[in-house]
Amino acid sequence: MTAAVAADRRPPRSRSSARRLRSVRRALFVTLLVAGGLLMMAPFLWMIATSLKTRAEVFATPPTLFPITAQWRNYPDMWNALPFASFFLNSAKLAALNTIGQLVSCSMAAFAFAALRFRFREPLFALLLVTLIIPFQVVLVPNFILYRLLPHPVSTSGNWIGTQEPLWVGAFLGGAFGTFLLRQFFLAIPRELGDAARVDGANPWHIYRHVYLPLAKPALATLAIFTFMWSWNDLIDPIIYLRDVESLTVTAGLSLFQGQYVGRWPLLMAGALVSVLPMIVLFILAQRHFVRGIALTGIKG
Amino acid sequence: MTAVRRSARWRAGGPLAGEGRWAAFFLAPTLLGLAVLSAGPILATLAISLTRWDLLTAPKVVGLDNYLALLSDDRFQKALRNTFFYTAVSVPVGLTIALGLALALNARIRGIAFIRTAYFLPVVTSTIAIALVWQWIYSADSGLLNQVLGVFGIPAQKWLSNPTLAMPSIIAMSIWQGLGVNVIIFLAGLQAIPADLLDAASVDGAGARARFRHVTLPLLTPTIFFTGVLSLIGSFQVFDQIFVLAKPKPTEATITVVYFIYENGFKFFKMGYASAASWILFLIVAAFTAVYFWSQSRWVHYQ
Repeated sequence: MTAAVAADRRPPRSRSSARRLRSVRRALFVTLLVAGGLLMMAPFLWMIATSLKTRAEVFATPPTLFPITAQWRNYPDMWNALPFASFFLNSAKLAALNTIGQLVSCSMAAFAFAALRFRFREPLFALLLVTLIIPFQVVLVPNFILYRLLPHPVSTSGNWIGTQEPLWVGAFLGGAFGTFLLRQFFLAIPRELGDAARVDGANPWHIYRHVYLPLAKPALATLAIFTFMWSWNDLIDPIIYLRDVESLTVTAGLSLFQGQYVGRWPLLMAGALVSVLPMIVLFILAQRHFVRGIALTGIKG
Repeated sequence: MTAVRRSARWRAGGPLAGEGRWAAFFLAPTLLGLAVLSAGPILATLAISLTRWDLLTAPKVVGLDNYLALLSDDRFQKALRNTFFYTAVSVPVGLTIALGLALALNARIRGIAFIRTAYFLPVVTSTIAIALVWQWIYSADSGLLNQVLGVFGIPAQKWLSNPTLAMPSIIAMSIWQGLGVNVIIFLAGLQAIPADLLDAASVDGAGARARFRHVTLPLLTPTIFFTGVLSLIGSFQVFDQIFVLAKPKPTEATITVVYFIYENGFKFFKMGYASAASWILFLIVAAFTAVYFWSQSRWVHYQ
């Protein structure tokens, strides 16, 4: 901590011993940070290294860090062991639907809370915030029962259990996190913009569509990325609702894979790596949005 | 005050009548969601918890039987104890490490963005993939951890099946995975601290430690409070880690309340019993959150 503050001061090059002590400290501090970063990366590197080993190498004594020759065939072997192509399509489809649903429904609610005047606005918003702190498991059973009551035209059970519908339809019915995030952003938009449009005869829908939404693009991008990530990484809902192997998501498929290939670490690591690749690429492309999303809700919370 | 000014502006801008109807239109999806998916079902859970219901036959009202049964259910007691242990360790340890890291990462050093990325990567990857790697790291034969410890002559441990080590091992992984979120929030909080306050303290002769103790830390308490709420609520909901690391099913040393709910509701189809456990979890989280919010007047400094 002391070092952190000291590092801020950027001393000019000097021969004095105090300065030298400082630069030693600084070097130590940077080394520690880099070492910590490597420690954070270690599981990922270990995953990559293991995914390219043979089974014998994995259990070799003395243990090896890197494979002697990279076993690239572990990847097609893993890919063909279970219908991973379907898993990826399912996850991508669900993540896209969830993202669209949240963008539409949360932005509409956020606009109402930020720009419209109506009775019960404050208590309704408070109720929405309360649902933010309720553990979602509390509603797991009634939601399951609700989806079990809803008729479904093509499912074998006749209801929504065993279909992918419970995993995305709810996203079109708003959400506390997204509404809160967008409302914070909408509140920062000068009301004069909406007022001016109003004088020109625009109704609230036009103001929402042509004034607020275009200005809120950064916040919408943040919400889109978060929703995509949550949907992609969700585990409990797929394992509760999905029944056929073909309909599984990447996470649920990986869990099945784990059960069927116990101890076959190279294949399991290849599967884990392939499953996280889309999120890692998304994160690297949109790091700014991740950081902003977390920071925004963090500060104003 | 602002509300009054706003309403006057709207009135100047256009007819106020009909705005309620527009609000109903914009809020329709959210209201439906609240009614059938979030707020409404909380009450439904309470009602279901008073019944015995296997989904195949009609629910039978049994009053408080489920709650009484939970009180004497050894597995539920263990689940509660493990969840408390998980929370009591992972929240303070996780927050302390994150705060230290945020202070370090706040420094202006070339290449810091790259190091930051390393810390945030575990946040965006799914717990199942992460837990798979950790299962392999913790593996009793040839796992990375035992190999590294072997270099120092420490005997191999069964990290995930030894009852004393299993929960701490799972907690270590969770802290590693969750660090990034808290670090980001702390970094945002640190960057919001006015530089002139720190400079003024320097001019007054405050050393780095004194500046941290008397300027940075007090101004950071709202952020610490917020990350605390997030971590507290999140830790009571721990499930994914347990589901993956404690396969085929958690022992008494690793079961948590949410796994208990999952097991009873969706494996044994004891809907009433699972609902009663959910409601108890809800009450516990609500009580902890309430006490935590009540405590904020004692240690959180708002500017």
